[in-house]
Amino acid sequence: MNASSKSIKILLVEDVKINRMVMRMMVKSLGLEMEEAEDGQKAVDYFVGGKKADVVLMDRDMPIMNGHEATRQLRSMGVETPIIVLSADDSQSNRDVFLQAGADEFLQSKPPSRKELVDVLTKYGLY
Amino acid sequence: MDVSQLQRSWVEFLTALFNEGFLDSQFNQLLQLQDESNPNFVAEVVTDFFHDSERLLNELTGVLDQQIVDFKKVDSHVHQLKGSSASIGVERVKNMCIAFKAFCEESNREGCLRCLHQVKQEYFLVKDKLQTLFMLEQQIVAAGGSPPLM
Repeated sequence: MNASSKSIKILLVEDVKINRMVMRMMVKSLGLEMEEAEDGQKAVDYFVGGKKADVVLMDRDMPIMNGHEATRQLRSMGVETPIIVLSADDSQSNRDVFLQAGADEFLQSKPPSRKELVDVLTKYGLY
Repeated sequence: MDVSQLQRSWVEFLTALFNEGFLDSQFNQLLQLQDESNPNFVAEVVTDFFHDSERLLNELTGVLDQQIVDFKKVDSHVHQLKGSSASIGVERVKNMCIAFKAFCEESNREGCLRCLHQVKQEYFLVKDKLQTLFMLEQQIVAAGGSPPLM
């Protein structure tokens, strides 16, 4: 783990409470910080409110605002934070919509394995 | 039974749950996340899963019992159950939810009702198994040991 990893903050955008609990524990085990948004609108509000995160983990299917739309809005606001998609749907059409919206990366499984999460954070210099 | 016999029983029981398809590798991930600073993490998250799942199954029963079914609501509840069962690693419940979602998308009431019945069966089966696993763990701890690392 990089010496600077202790200050890395993840924003998890996920509506299912159990999923958030598991991800919270996984991120804690990596020694990283995490904040949570229960839907896409809360993710947008997070950044509108001036808060910052080093990476966003974005679910797709959420009430109020889904992951596609949240990603689109964050990019249109000028948010450059890497957005990594957590979606059980690994179809090309889903990937295309997310990539067009501005997402950077897809994790292969949902929930991701610890190794997958570490690998993608390492790729972005966050672990 | 002494601690080592209890620990063997725990390992055998857990191994059987994986072999019979009740649990998948995600449950193993949960076990690996548990440590001295969070010794009850798995029991806590699984207990929350039980509460949420039974609430969702009750709501699904109510929604599918209506003359006019709100398939959007059904889909939303199944989505929650599918997601949480994947996070816990209860594979058979998760797989039934995938089938359930497909019938939702077709607005197929009969298909949804069949799936609801099957999801309930699978859920209560795995709940019983996990409660037995936790009971074995409690026996190990009471005997002065701790569950083996998998």
